[in-house]
Amino acid sequence: MRAYFRLQFKMFNRNMIAFGLPLLIGYTLIPLLFVLFSNYLFSIIEFETPIYCLIALGFVSKLSDPKRNDFLKSIYNKTNYLKLRSIENLIYALPFTLFLIYKTQFLTAILLNLLGISIILFNFNTHINMTIPTPFGKKPFEFVVGFRKTFFIFPISYFLTYISITVGNFNLGVFAMILIALICLSYYSKIEHEYFVWNFNVSAKDFLFEKTKTCLTYFTILCLPILIALCICFVHEISILLVFFLLCHAYLITLIFAKYSSFPKEMNISQGILIAISIMFPPMLFVIIPLFYSQSIKKLNTVLK
Amino acid sequence: MIIIKNLSKSYGKNQVLNNINLDIKKGNVYGIVGENGAGKTTLFRCLAGLESFEGKIASHLNPLKNHLGLLLTEPFFFSKITGKEYIQLLANSRQITLTNIEERNIFDLPLNQYASTYSTGMKKKLALTAILLQDNAVFILDEPFNGVDIQSNLMITEIIKKLKNLDKTIIISSHIFSTLADTCDEIFLMKDGEIIKKVKQIDFDNLESEMKAFTIGNRIDKLELK
Repeated sequence: MRAYFRLQFKMFNRNMIAFGLPLLIGYTLIPLLFVLFSNYLFSIIEFETPIYCLIALGFVSKLSDPKRNDFLKSIYNKTNYLKLRSIENLIYALPFTLFLIYKTQFLTAILLNLLGISIILFNFNTHINMTIPTPFGKKPFEFVVGFRKTFFIFPISYFLTYISITVGNFNLGVFAMILIALICLSYYSKIEHEYFVWNFNVSAKDFLFEKTKTCLTYFTILCLPILIALCICFVHEISILLVFFLLCHAYLITLIFAKYSSFPKEMNISQGILIAISIMFPPMLFVIIPLFYSQSIKKLNTVLK
Repeated sequence: MIIIKNLSKSYGKNQVLNNINLDIKKGNVYGIVGENGAGKTTLFRCLAGLESFEGKIASHLNPLKNHLGLLLTEPFFFSKITGKEYIQLLANSRQITLTNIEERNIFDLPLNQYASTYSTGMKKKLALTAILLQDNAVFILDEPFNGVDIQSNLMITEIIKKLKNLDKTIIISSHIFSTLADTCDEIFLMKDGEIIKKVKQIDFDNLESEMKAFTIGNRIDKLELK
């Protein structure tokens, strides 16, 4: 089992290097960003603890991929498999646990770890051939695939909006909208196989325009219930709400352009840093968007020309 | 017509394709055979414009890629996309509106299931169906018979014949010689990134026996099987 974890550690380091992150910087930057994110989350929303736990469990459940677990079951006996999976889940939950301890949420930390371990008892390998219906079927693929993976977030987000209205907390409502934006951003975070870009018989410019149009339209559709509800219930905050809404649009555009600016490779560290800077200082978007756009056109032209 | 002139490709010091010269005529079916690693897939990727290369590929179709149906050896599928949506995706990418996908599902694929749950053969049939519905003029089929059941093998052979009758150009790579002999007008034999032989239909029988002698020789004896 020790060999397995050593191998996992090696793979983690390799991934970090492949991402363009030197190990020393990676091991400094990742914990730092994690603490900043956790602090930010705790400072802006209500019900922060359950939401934080849900995020942690979502992160831990990434290890529950049926194929991965079938592979592990095939090479380890049952006891070792359960031990190994428990340790893995505890390691994944560790940063969240430490932060909860720092916040003196000891009971929640224990509960999170117990839930993290209990996840291994559930078999996510369902043989039911059920296809989750999606309203975005006409324009595959980002929203079709993404919606099926994250559909449960949308009711949560709408519920948060409902709570924000009932308790009169405008910030929570804005967070619900940002949550949807983050989910939509995740649909565009990974580059698709080059075959699916190659297939298009349009220019790079038209390709990007179509991608952006689809993304912004579908994001607006998903956000509309929140937007309308908040506009009605927080009339005086409409201008702030619209600023956030437009910022979400801008970040979605940025990510789409960033994604294709390194095509067919994944986004690299320098692009990640530029996006991070633009999050901290939004006026940077005026520089970053045209920059990523021109780089995307160049890269896409190699297969779309 | 596609003319390939002095096509070479290398990855660093590793020369994968070396001075390939081919004339691909409209309405003909061409087979490419060769050992694993001979450069067949790289040649296809160059033709599709997925790789940079030295030399020239000229075509009356401009750009060639917009009229090309490419079937990869291992087609890629997103994890949560249905067969129908996959076909739709490939049609959308060529601005083609498909209305009767179910009726054109000649391989009886479960189109409403996620494509990632399909077997290897089903995935190949789905990818083939999708490119057939794109109205392409040229088809590159990299190992179209791999992992496909015998009935579908027969179906694919008939599809290739039908495409030829419709004046489409097809380039196939396959390790199953009989399927190539059934459908091709000409077969190119590749070895170490070079076309070492071009064989017309009339000489296919000789090619098969030559290939056997050439590729097998006395290699099996080296295993010293007892």
